[in-house]
Amino acid sequence: MFASTYLHIMKARRDVFQAIADPTRREIINMIASQPLNVNAIAEKFDVSRQAVSLHIQILIDCGLVTAKQQGRDRLCEAKLDQLSEVARWVDQYKQHWESKLDNLESYIEQLKKQRDGKHGK
Amino acid sequence: MANDTKDREIFLSRTLNAPVALVWEVWTQPEHIANWWGPTGFTNTISTMDMRAGGEWNLVMHGPDGKDYINKSIFKEVILHKKIVYEHVSYPRLVATIEFAEQGDKTLITWHMLFESREQFIEVAKAHKVVEGQKQNVEKLEAYLAALISK
Repeated sequence: MFASTYLHIMKARRDVFQAIADPTRREIINMIASQPLNVNAIAEKFDVSRQAVSLHIQILIDCGLVTAKQQGRDRLCEAKLDQLSEVARWVDQYKQHWESKLDNLESYIEQLKKQRDGKHGK
Repeated sequence: MANDTKDREIFLSRTLNAPVALVWEVWTQPEHIANWWGPTGFTNTISTMDMRAGGEWNLVMHGPDGKDYINKSIFKEVILHKKIVYEHVSYPRLVATIEFAEQGDKTLITWHMLFESREQFIEVAKAHKVVEGQKQNVEKLEAYLAALISK
């Protein structure tokens, strides 16, 4: 009951930001970035339960960062990293927001200089 | 890898066409900073700006949508005409270091912001994207209405 409710909540937000917001999920992406791995192989590297790792992988799948193929009794997880560029783009836009603060500072200083020059006469 | 700060920091620099004394004045006096801080369309109210180590800085940004954004910071280091370090203790938590370098009658300002966590950094970037999107929507609506009225 709890697990399914939790899964439901986590499914409510599925985008790339949700995917990488969690350190365990980032670690999973790092692990499978170079080569696909089975869920069991991934779970072995973590202290948390296999069920918890499974849930993280499901979120990554829902967010489109991972695909899983059934392989015998296990599933092979592969990273789909194209989506990560979306994060890079948003971070870049956020940086632009701070750049615009410097733009504001720059034009305010110009305005102030003009005012002061005007007052003192040239 | 875990201690790498590259994925949770912003680094900006700009050469400003003004002597360091003027840049410092504009950065450190509330009546000035209120004129340029915050995104376009925002106004600012500064209730405290105690520019010394341990001093508080309380700035509220008023959004165009009527929403207030509280920014509380503590100054960590203040060196006249050289350096300001403050810790933003409201969300998102970050440490900002602003350095001023005199270059004749110009000033090189460098601005470094280190977010406490990657989680907060990307959350804020995402929220910002949402705000930007809303702003653009409002701008589009305004342009559309203006076009309608002029018909």
